[in-house]
Amino acid sequence: MPNSGPRKFSLLSSPISAARAAALFLVCISSLRAQASSPSLPSPRIATREVVDEVGRTVRVPISISRIVSLAPSLTETLYALGVQDRLVGDTVYCDYPPDAQKKPKVGGAIDPNLEQIAALHPDLVLLTKSLNRLDTVRALETLGIPSYATDPHTVDEIISSTQKLATVLNVAEAGRSVADDMQRQLGALEEKLGPLPPKRVLFIVWTEPLISVGKHTFIADALRRAGAASIVDSGQDWPQVSLEEVVHLQPDYLVFTSSHLGAAENDFESVANRAGWRILDAVRDRRYAVISDAVNRPAPRIVSAIEDLARQLHPEAFPPAPAPEKKPAGPMEPLLLQQKPGTMRPMTLTGSSESPCAR
Amino acid sequence: MRPLTLGRLLLRCSVLALILFVVVVIALKLGAVQVSLYGLGRDLVRVLLGQSSAISSDYGMIVVDIRLPRILLAIVVGASLSVAGASFQALLRNPLADPYVLGVSSGAAVGAILALMLENQLSLSPEFAGLITPFGAFLGAAITISGVYLLGHREGQIDSNTLLLGGVITMSFLQAIITFLMSTLAGGNLRGASFWLMGSLSTLPPRSLLYLVGIGSLVAAGAIYTTASDLNLLLAGEREATHLGVDVPRVRVVVYVAASILTAFAVSVSGSIGYVGLLVPHAMRLLFGSDHRMLLPTSAFGGAIAVVIADTIARTIVAPSEISVGAVTALVGAPFFIYLLRRRLS
Amino acid sequence: MSTPLRTPMPSADQPRLNPDARLSVEQASYVYAPNPSQAPLFTLEALSFQAKPGEIVAILGPNASGKSTLLKLISGALEPLSGRVFLSGFATHALPPKIRAQRIALVQQESRLLFPSRAWEFVLQGRHAYNRRMHFESEEDVNIARNALAQVGATHLSDRWMDQISGGEKQRVILARALAQQPLLLLLDEPTLHLDIGAQVDLLDSLRHLAAVNRYTVIVVTHELNLVGEYADQVVLLQKGKCLRVGSPASVYQRELLEQVFQAPLTVEMTVAGRPRVTLLGKT
Repeated sequence: MPNSGPRKFSLLSSPISAARAAALFLVCISSLRAQASSPSLPSPRIATREVVDEVGRTVRVPISISRIVSLAPSLTETLYALGVQDRLVGDTVYCDYPPDAQKKPKVGGAIDPNLEQIAALHPDLVLLTKSLNRLDTVRALETLGIPSYATDPHTVDEIISSTQKLATVLNVAEAGRSVADDMQRQLGALEEKLGPLPPKRVLFIVWTEPLISVGKHTFIADALRRAGAASIVDSGQDWPQVSLEEVVHLQPDYLVFTSSHLGAAENDFESVANRAGWRILDAVRDRRYAVISDAVNRPAPRIVSAIEDLARQLHPEAFPPAPAPEKKPAGPMEPLLLQQKPGTMRPMTLTGSSESPCAR
Repeated sequence: MRPLTLGRLLLRCSVLALILFVVVVIALKLGAVQVSLYGLGRDLVRVLLGQSSAISSDYGMIVVDIRLPRILLAIVVGASLSVAGASFQALLRNPLADPYVLGVSSGAAVGAILALMLENQLSLSPEFAGLITPFGAFLGAAITISGVYLLGHREGQIDSNTLLLGGVITMSFLQAIITFLMSTLAGGNLRGASFWLMGSLSTLPPRSLLYLVGIGSLVAAGAIYTTASDLNLLLAGEREATHLGVDVPRVRVVVYVAASILTAFAVSVSGSIGYVGLLVPHAMRLLFGSDHRMLLPTSAFGGAIAVVIADTIARTIVAPSEISVGAVTALVGAPFFIYLLRRRLS
Repeated sequence: MSTPLRTPMPSADQPRLNPDARLSVEQASYVYAPNPSQAPLFTLEALSFQAKPGEIVAILGPNASGKSTLLKLISGALEPLSGRVFLSGFATHALPPKIRAQRIALVQQESRLLFPSRAWEFVLQGRHAYNRRMHFESEEDVNIARNALAQVGATHLSDRWMDQISGGEKQRVILARALAQQPLLLLLDEPTLHLDIGAQVDLLDSLRHLAAVNRYTVIVVTHELNLVGEYADQVVLLQKGKCLRVGSPASVYQRELLEQVFQAPLTVEMTVAGRPRVTLLGKT
């Protein structure tokens, strides 16, 4: 109908406003629905209690937790160590240890887990760590009414206490105590052996290009200390980028690499040893390097074996050649990776400068 | 001679609204988890009729609590960016202008990153914690808007060329600050900042924020719409526009402030999603012409449709992982941009 | 700036100020200065003239004589430093943009459009001044636009794209847009610059016709001596910011005066109709 005469229309924003009003209306509806349909919000019928997690949040968790989603590989390992793996209903694609964890339903990565899949699993509790996961994920879970619990250990002792606290939240305090005791025992024995020996100065290499090491407030730095090593990097950041000049200036005694499997370790060292600048390092010239399993990257009970492994490589004199069989802690643990002396030349094929993946 | 009438405008907007509705329904259906929309619809009807009190938990939370807010956010962000883009193209008389050319998004990024760094020092209650980053982003954007305005005005009025220059310079400067800040960030903060800079709709904002942004964007878009016929004339040049009856200084200020606010809102909840503000207006011009009375509403719908589709692709193509929305819009946008360019040249 | 300026005409030849004239320029002057402390770059000295409905006034002079400045004062884009410019009793500078656009229409040489539009859309822009802020064009607006195109003989261009028509055709459409504004005052800034001779004559013929029929007051800024001589009812002769003479073409076209202003040897003849015709001589 054509406009006629001087009539003018002034409600011209009505198409946009109508659409936006509809959108807002939908949002209102959805917020009502959220009230009506949040089954995983603990209703008064499910008994809950308040706990304080390791980042200071007060969360309300069910007393009986039967469905757990883990968003960090270290937490997955810890759950297996505590023997509650049957309650684990979902984990991340990076959760590869123990091998059984790989069979669990996946919810995506640690940094970008898929909220829909987490929600579809109807978890009673979601576990995260501050260093690996994002705050946004925590907030999103809160918005959805899914309880979440975060750990944040910065030292090996804190890993032990964190495991115990988690065990309490999951009602397996006994198992928690047992795991903690085993870890303490191993660490204690190690400390005895290493006691009088001066620590070796090491550069812990996370990544070579750019050169990234670990900061002094991380649990990895503490793990190094327990293994009779001292990281030459003195930084407040968690993953500081270090200049090669500084490293040359400080001349570490050893380079420490992590690897998830044999063979890649030697490649790491060889590819680094041939680079300009690195050759000046005494440690490179004398082929003084140690390789440990990537368990050191995960704040879980398995870190103790990595610590011990490193200690053996750095201080072979502390470990007499005919060791009494040590009492292995309960729970599945990977056998010690490398038993050879550090820096031994092994026949191998150089496969170029492929780097082992940055273990997480 | 067929001048634009309200009837034609409403008809076209209705068609676009219908397309948007269909796209939304499809987006609700798609995702990492299978849902049955039929079941959802059935439960909704039952609740509306009072027969039951809740939607089945199998999909209720996923569709209503996760997907729906995300889709609504995509609609608001897409519409805002497109309207802002069309407005800046008119204001700066430059077809290459997009909502970010005057540095608003860079200012928002600086604000967001600073807020992220600050967040760790403070421990806030959950309601506020979720608001700090968007608020910081908006504050950064607002400061940038004022700064660029001061740079870009001469003799008391906004001058298009000076404004563009001032904006581009400001943007470069802020980008340098962002690079510097990123290099000092550690671990978790860095990841958060990267997500934000790439443009992402995956963080569910608090409800209050969604309402605020929705209503604020509506008001700002409405303000721009009141100048739609003025913008048509402004494209011919400011002297001509003045002699045809346009109050050029007033229109410039209104459009600049309102379009910047639209951009600031969009960016503070979703980071910088690129190409939408640049290309959707051009696509709508190809389809419907350059009359801003038609261009602005159709760009709003077009942008909403584009971002909902892009977001759906982003969260389903490599499910359960996600790629960022910005990556999808760039991958689709760049070839389309080339197509537009060739069309113009031919 | 070294040649001596002719003194302005004695006051006896200047038109007496008629309070009922449509356009009244009264001792209006202007100064361009980058900032107040520096010497002015350009001065338009005070001048006066008046124009009636149906009259064509030519502002004539060489480059940099102040023609454009005077046009801006008349159109209200600039405020006179002294004196005033009145259109039907209102100072042009003080009018709000919409009202001013209803009374004064400006035709410029070129119109750069960022995104191409059709001719009828372009002409409809002239109706903007009559409509409220958010509006759609009414049937009346459409009729007026159609009419305007017809008056300039461009109805056949109505559906063509503006960037696909010739310079002369574009000029006509631009004029049609000005007519759609239904102004009292029609200002044209060097309208014949890009036109070939036939088109120039066409344009002036149209202007004379439109001025008579629609009672516009037409002000044309130009340096085309013969077109002015043939078509203008009144001539304002400017040189270097000074108004040297105001009057009918016959009274303004004095050989010595023109030679001095345009710095070229010429002769002036009178046609049968009483219009002066200028012939440029070579510099032999």
